Amino acid sequence: MQDHTTKQELKDRLSLIESMIAEGRRNTERWGWMFVLWGVAYYVAMAWSAWGHSTRAWPVTMLIAVVVAIAFASLKAGNHPGTTLGRAIGSIWIALGISMFLLFLALGLSGRLTDQHLFAAVISAILGMANGASGLILRWKVQFACAAVWWVAAVATCFGTDSQGTIVFLVAIFLCQIAFGIYGVIAQAQERKRRGPIHA
Amino acid sequence: MPDLPELNPVVHGRLRLALLSLLVGVEAAEFTWLRAKTEATDGNLGAQLLKLEEAGYVAVEKKFVLRKPQTLYRITEIGRQALTEYVRALKQLLGPAIDS
Repeated sequence: MQDHTTKQELKDRLSLIESMIAEGRRNTERWGWMFVLWGVAYYVAMAWSAWGHSTRAWPVTMLIAVVVAIAFASLKAGNHPGTTLGRAIGSIWIALGISMFLLFLALGLSGRLTDQHLFAAVISAILGMANGASGLILRWKVQFACAAVWWVAAVATCFGTDSQGTIVFLVAIFLCQIAFGIYGVIAQAQERKRRGPIHA
Repeated sequence: MPDLPELNPVVHGRLRLALLSLLVGVEAAEFTWLRAKTEATDGNLGAQLLKLEEAGYVAVEKKFVLRKPQTLYRITEIGRQALTEYVRALKQLLGPAIDS
């Protein structure tokens, strides 16, 4: 059989295996829209709390974002099979969501959520942890770069004025939520277009 | 010069190889998901899955979810070993050409 099989065919088989196994990574790319959703939610909450001076801005916005995320996630999940990798990544983000929700709800209700620097630094550090863990598991440099941006933001927001801290936080949200999310959606769409049907 | 390895003809088929590679990364997959990923026709996909099942590389589970029939495919331990052996043989055959 090997006599008739060219090296190019064999290489094609190898890249086919790699592309199919890479489905694990595409699991996260499939959730690109979720990063965009949460990025927009952070912007809305920040704008509402800054201009509306409302203490309800963060809890209400986050609660709405959770409901929207769950609704869309259940619609998009469809018949996608579970993977060990997918479960590991999912666990990180679910645990992060619960931690942030409980922590900031408790801080908000107790009236201790007064230091803007601390607030931005904690959010940035937690998001850096989740993106870092996910990037390392998936060996995805782009996501790990996002983690690095969040860690820099966590340190930077501890210093400087309120407005400087806010700018750093807004830039980190834009890069790691909005831009990264759109990149994920585009990468998934391109991959789908690039790969044609597979025949026997 | 060492003998060149034979490639497993069951695994070597392009669609069958794609199916095994997909299944090796998931716990179990529905027929519809495999069809969406490979963009193969129902007939072709069914025929190739049957060949993999006959070889013992894939296990099939049929059940009803909310009164709708669902066919789940899982790679077996023999199938996993066959794919590993195939990749090893492929790499051996390609040799230095693997990076070019």
